[in-house]
Amino acid sequence: MATTSQIPPHTVNGSPGDPTTSIEIQGWVITSTSLPISNAPEIDEMQEMLHGLPIPEMPFGNNSIALKHDASGWEYSFNALGALSEVKLGKLGDGDGGVKVGYAKEWMQSRLEPNSDTPMPETSPTKEYDWTYTTTYPGRETKSSSPHLKWTPADPENPSHCIPLAQLSKRDPILYYAEIMLYEDELHDNGSSRLVIRLRVMPTCLFILSRLTVRVDGVVFRTFDTRIYHSFQPDPHSTSGTLHVVKECSGWEAPYDVVKRVSELAYFLWRTDSRGHTLFQHLPNPNDLTPLTDANFIAQVLTQLPKSVSQNPRAKSGTGWRGLGTRVEVCHLNPKPVVDGPQVAVDGA
Amino acid sequence: MEARARVVMRRQLAQPATTVPGQDGLPALLLLDQSAQIEQLKRCEPLSELQVKELCLKAREILIEEGNVQYVDSPVTICGDIHGQFFDLVELFKVGGWCPETNYLFMGDFVDRGFYSIETFLLLLAFKVRYPDRITLIRGNHESRQITQVYGFYDECQRKYGSANVWRYCCEVFDYLALAAIVDGRVFCVHGGLSPNVHAIDQIRAIDRKQEVPHDGPMCDLLWSDPDDIQGWGLSPRGAGFLFGGDVVKGFNHANDIDLIARAHQLAMEGFKLMFDQMIVTVWSAPNYCYRCGNVASILELDENLRQEYKVFNAAQQDARSIPVKRPPPEYFL
Repeated sequence: MATTSQIPPHTVNGSPGDPTTSIEIQGWVITSTSLPISNAPEIDEMQEMLHGLPIPEMPFGNNSIALKHDASGWEYSFNALGALSEVKLGKLGDGDGGVKVGYAKEWMQSRLEPNSDTPMPETSPTKEYDWTYTTTYPGRETKSSSPHLKWTPADPENPSHCIPLAQLSKRDPILYYAEIMLYEDELHDNGSSRLVIRLRVMPTCLFILSRLTVRVDGVVFRTFDTRIYHSFQPDPHSTSGTLHVVKECSGWEAPYDVVKRVSELAYFLWRTDSRGHTLFQHLPNPNDLTPLTDANFIAQVLTQLPKSVSQNPRAKSGTGWRGLGTRVEVCHLNPKPVVDGPQVAVDGA
Repeated sequence: MEARARVVMRRQLAQPATTVPGQDGLPALLLLDQSAQIEQLKRCEPLSELQVKELCLKAREILIEEGNVQYVDSPVTICGDIHGQFFDLVELFKVGGWCPETNYLFMGDFVDRGFYSIETFLLLLAFKVRYPDRITLIRGNHESRQITQVYGFYDECQRKYGSANVWRYCCEVFDYLALAAIVDGRVFCVHGGLSPNVHAIDQIRAIDRKQEVPHDGPMCDLLWSDPDDIQGWGLSPRGAGFLFGGDVVKGFNHANDIDLIARAHQLAMEGFKLMFDQMIVTVWSAPNYCYRCGNVASILELDENLRQEYKVFNAAQQDARSIPVKRPPPEYFL
């Protein structure tokens, strides 16, 4: 069994700064591509493929992270088209978590008042879609991935059916690292929506974090994380010795003011902590709200809130977004089934 | 015809005064001081808090005299969003020529998001104070107290000066910026777009502009609205703000006898985007926006016949020294 000090043979293709780089390791080929935002013809094409969804201001349509496992034929990828295809197009309903900007009510009122100086003009219907670009896209199998491989709910009793955060906290050497943007939109200066994928390949495992962060100023913060973990060593609890991939999807949200107040309050909690330890994520300066634009800061605050606040679709203050909560699934990377005669021979071997 | 010739004359008379200190009635020493400040800002060296205060005061004295709609003569170079990308602004001036040799019109969004909002805005302001007839600044939706508190300018002032004073001085200037401009009576320039309450350009003059950008009404619309492939007016799905279609643009241009609306406000990968039979154009002047989009930027040069030439440019090399590296360093994220 490999220890952390043993680095398995691997090949990294491309040098930092190249648009496309890849690593070949333990029967995997992992490729990442990072390019500028899509140009006008590409955006038009993307919009057509997405049935007319208005495309985010910064679509990184040419970026991707792709995983390929030779023995099982499992292929998985993250790209902007896939992520945007899971953004709600059409009238938003229950579970979609739709919101309006903070001043929508006042704006509308000023136009609708009987003696308004600025009455509402006659308007024509505009496209309805989730303008916050909220997606629960966790990446998807590619078309060429082996169809026999399926995700199944994780067994909570099985310690290998979770993301081993302790293991991942170890400072083993990072053999390959990628960070790509899939899209970003500033919500017309009403906040921000960003989807970023990060990947690191370590001597013993590969780990991916896909993070969607939505901030609507004065209204809501929302995070949707997908973590994908694969240990290069077979599951010690499994008798078959097959490899597997763990996928954990989690969504959180909280009203803007709750996050703001909690992180302001945590600043004072932190100040009174005698050991000088940071108990809670907090604003370093209660007058400076810039940390509230930082995806990692937002995620830390949202995850330290009680689940009854941040992961409860029935929370009174919430939007009822169906992405809330945590789901863990595993996919066993069984070898490709061999069709026809050789099947028997394999079984008999 | 006569009026036009007079305008050209005025510009020719005005030019020597902008280069020879002392000839336009201001004490020579003051002009030398202003020129020195421009040189300092061109090197991206910040001014002292006191200098900023004085510069902002002088700028306000000039801007208060300007109308809500500034009249500008061609030739002029029209620029879109800059967003604190100082070294890219220097690149813009290298491509388009420096002020005062080139006459400029900036359509707002000088600050926020980039790392050098202060230097960017103060350089433009220093040009405005030194050469008021050679540069026109109009207000973008980011020239607002509320927006700059979220998108970086406030933070940058706090960080670089240790207090919010510089931010406050600049915000006071924002309130005096013109809302629109019109070139030779034919090209209407505005940061965002049209308003359903503004049919005639003259109606903009009735707005009391010396205030924080409101959340509603025509002033808000001019700074915030966007063209879209719709008929007439549409409500933004965000719950506030307007979208306007090609027929609205056509009607406005016809009613006001103009050829083109130039606006900014929206990122265009190619640096500019013409829409609706070339009756409206979006000009974007922040290359590699936010240091990660990889887009080109453009400026729109209008010659004395209002012939349009779009000059496209890339992000400055120099900025590489102080922007995050293209590939982020490996990180032990969890």
